[in-house]
Amino acid sequence: MKIWTSEHTFNHSWETVAQAAWRKYPNPMNPAVIGTDVVERKVVDGVLHTHRLVSSKWYFPKWAQAILGTAKVCYASEKSTVDPKERQMTLKTINLTFCRHISVDEVLYYTPHPTDPSKTLLKQEATVTVEGVPLSRYMEDLLTSKISVNAGKGRQGLEWVIAKLNTEISSQVKGIAESAARSTDGLLSHTKKSLDDMTESARKSMDDLSATASKHIHI
Amino acid sequence: MNSIGEECTELKRQYDACFNNWFSEKFLKGQTDDSMCAPIFKVYQECVKKAMKAQNIEFKEIDGDYLKDEFKDTPPGKGS
Repeated sequence: MKIWTSEHTFNHSWETVAQAAWRKYPNPMNPAVIGTDVVERKVVDGVLHTHRLVSSKWYFPKWAQAILGTAKVCYASEKSTVDPKERQMTLKTINLTFCRHISVDEVLYYTPHPTDPSKTLLKQEATVTVEGVPLSRYMEDLLTSKISVNAGKGRQGLEWVIAKLNTEISSQVKGIAESAARSTDGLLSHTKKSLDDMTESARKSMDDLSATASKHIHI
Repeated sequence: MNSIGEECTELKRQYDACFNNWFSEKFLKGQTDDSMCAPIFKVYQECVKKAMKAQNIEFKEIDGDYLKDEFKDTPPGKGS
C-alpha cells in the first residue's frame, strides 16, 4: 500500500471552487474523463450527498494490460458531501473496474484556507494498493507517480473551469445589460407612441372644436 | 460531458444545468429544498440506471468494502 498526499491553495473563494468542482469535467487538462453520471443525490440535514459514476479512458503499457486486462474505459465511484454552513466539500473516489487486485482510492477536501478564508485549500490523498500480482511494489510506485501527474492536471483543470465560469458570468452580465438597453428602447418607443397618440387626439379635438366653432359662427 | 448511456446525455445536460443553477443560487445561499430539479432528476436517474444495467456496471460488489469508511449514511447500489 502506498499513500500519496498533497496540498494546494486556490486564490478563489470556497463557494467559487465548490461550484467549479461540479463542473470540473470536461476540461482540456483531464481528457481521460469522458463521462459523469449522478446515481444518487439528496440533502440530509443541510448537507448535500452525491454519488456519481465517473467514466474515464486509461491507457496502460502493453505489459500491464496482460495483468489488468485490456478494458480501456474505467469506472469510478465518487461519493461526496457539501456542507455550505461549515464550507466543506469532500469527494471520495474509488475505481471499480481495475479488477480486484488493484485499488486506487482518492480523497479531496476543499475548505477555506485557515489563514485566509477568501482562498480555498485543497487537501488531496490517494491510497494505491496492489495485491497478488507480480511486481506489486513496482506497480504501486508506477501508479503513484501517475496520480501525482494527474493531480497537477486536475488542479489546472479546475482553474480552467473557474476562468470559464467567470467568463460565463461576465457574459451573463452583458446579457442583462443588453436586455436592459432593449427595455429602455422599448420604453422610449412606447413613450413616443403615447405622445403621438396624444398629439393625434389633441389635433382631432382641436379639429372638432374648430368645426363646431365654425358651425356656430355660420349660424 | 457525456452520460454512460448515449440516450441519457440530453437528459443529463438538462439536469446538470438545473443542478448548477440550484447549487449556486439556492443551496450555497442556505436554501436546502431540492425539489427544484427533482422532476428532471427522476427521469435522468431512471435512464442512467437502465444504462448501467445494460452495460453490467454495478456498485454492489465494491460497496461491501466501501461501507467501512464514512459513507455509511448513503445506501449502496439501491435499486440497481
